[in-house]
Amino acid sequence: MNKIAIAGCGVVTAAGLGMEALQRAVFSNASALQRRELLIGKTSQSVVAGFVADEITAQLRGADAAHADSRAFLFAAAALREAVKNAATILDSVPATRRGFVLSTTKANIEALDKLVRQQPVSAVAQRQIQPAFLAADLAAVFDCRGPVQCVSAACISGLSALQQGAAFIQRGIADVVFVAGVDLISQFVLSGFNSLKSLDPEGCRPFDKSRIGLSLGEGAAAIILVKRELLAAPAILLSGCGTSNDANHLTGPSRDGSGLALAIQRALAQARIAPDNIGYVNAHGTGTPYNDAMESLALRSVFGDRVPPFSSSKGIFGHTLGMAGVLETALCVAAQQNNLLPGTPRLRERDPVAPDSLLVEPRAVANLNYILKINCGFGGTNAALVLQRELP
Amino acid sequence: MKDLTIHAASYLGPEGFGNDETGLRAWPAPLKENLSRGELDGLHWSLLSASDPSRFLRMDLMCRIGFMATELLAVDFDALPEARRESLGVIVESFTGSLNTDIRFAQTPRPSIFAYTLPSTVIGEICIRHRLKGPVLSLIAPDTDGANALTEAAEWLRAGDAEMVLCLGIEAINVSTANSISLPKTLSPHGWHGAALLLGRPENLPREKLFIPGALGDVCRKLCSVPEHAC
Repeated sequence: MNKIAIAGCGVVTAAGLGMEALQRAVFSNASALQRRELLIGKTSQSVVAGFVADEITAQLRGADAAHADSRAFLFAAAALREAVKNAATILDSVPATRRGFVLSTTKANIEALDKLVRQQPVSAVAQRQIQPAFLAADLAAVFDCRGPVQCVSAACISGLSALQQGAAFIQRGIADVVFVAGVDLISQFVLSGFNSLKSLDPEGCRPFDKSRIGLSLGEGAAAIILVKRELLAAPAILLSGCGTSNDANHLTGPSRDGSGLALAIQRALAQARIAPDNIGYVNAHGTGTPYNDAMESLALRSVFGDRVPPFSSSKGIFGHTLGMAGVLETALCVAAQQNNLLPGTPRLRERDPVAPDSLLVEPRAVANLNYILKINCGFGGTNAALVLQRELP
Repeated sequence: MKDLTIHAASYLGPEGFGNDETGLRAWPAPLKENLSRGELDGLHWSLLSASDPSRFLRMDLMCRIGFMATELLAVDFDALPEARRESLGVIVESFTGSLNTDIRFAQTPRPSIFAYTLPSTVIGEICIRHRLKGPVLSLIAPDTDGANALTEAAEWLRAGDAEMVLCLGIEAINVSTANSISLPKTLSPHGWHGAALLLGRPENLPREKLFIPGALGDVCRKLCSVPEHAC
């Protein structure tokens, strides 16, 4: 079976444009969440979230007037350009027909639907990219991916699910390279939804904190270039296992016992053919909602017993980016693995006793970081887990 | 897909509803005209059964169609031991996805429908109903012949990632909802339908409980390219 390696990553987040900006935020444990006064429905409201800076959006619009009112396209294309650049010359030898593309998103260019409903002007391109499959097709065309194209929309596990699909394309031999991109926006639509569910923390999220009360939304895009292992000469970071599951319990809340997430983790570990003890770090979903973080803590104890590896949540850096979260947080894990540095949990004040003791408050350097577990959970009771493996020289 | 078996198939759409045993039945006369032109407000559980599942009334259109298609399979999922329900995967493929509910939510945001603005929510509803915990996948695809979902299901079964897979193809757009804004026609070109297939490997299945005798009918073939030998 073909092994899958990661050749390059790119991101656009509240922390800035590019992986360097993200790494600076991660390694300094800084939060990029900001407060803005926004109109939600007909009411002006103070919202703390991970907004992509207006200057970045303006810069991207200036360089691509045709997509000026499709932020989803602009962000995804920018993340993909960086990932392609980081993948360097590896892509040159791969014909376009052997390049696949997978998009992960929950709502694609949903801002255009908001505008249509309010009878505001919106370009034909922006309207077209309301449809996730069209957004995927447009991005695939721009990046000359003429192999298999797919779009995954599976709530907050979309990103990990898309990486799983990208890896599957290569394992099945229908592509040598797969561009995986995740994108979602903070929009009227999404804000109204989470606000109506009373899921937002007005002061900003505090994952695994004793007094946490909700999440903070985030936006942007992330891209990861997956390649057939043989295309890379140097030791690489491999995507060695994936697993998904359903809680079969509740539509908007996680199962109370964490058994569904534990099942997804066990499936990913089994596919990677490793025991739980091999995992050196877990990047949790860690939204900051009371139920999610408690459930994840139980799932980790269930899989790892009293030896839960160091773990943390990155949502305090850039917010909960929904359909792109899995791609973004996997890119963050790749950076952590390359730098032998375990990310902390920004915005955490006092650890909830329900969370295992190994919760990382601050970033910590380690000698080796050979295996990382990335987990996400979402509406509809979905769970996903992914194992990253660093090859030894 | 020579090594796979289709154990049950169902369909509902403008022409009617049914499964591989019953064939296609026409909708009752009062509804027939509305459903055939895409007015779906009358699509209720009572068309299939006297007892409403408690969650059905709160569901959005996509979930209702997927839920009904799964129920039309006439498969007793409850009879499966827990270990088998944990290895029963669910894949949903759609083009329109949750667009119908997205439009309604954008017009009038209500917490009760926000969870239904995701095309994967139907998986959650079905998993809750039948206590299924297997792997899941939700795809948005321009083609609605179910080919992507079937391909993925076949790969899962071959790789041993699942022992059985429930594949759903759902298009759910209410004509009056689409017409309520100036939505480009390209975003909802396929009308509405729901189809479900239960796929498995014969050696892994308790056939006496799951196998529905009889060849797959036109009902199934109209949505999926089902090879003759699969039956």
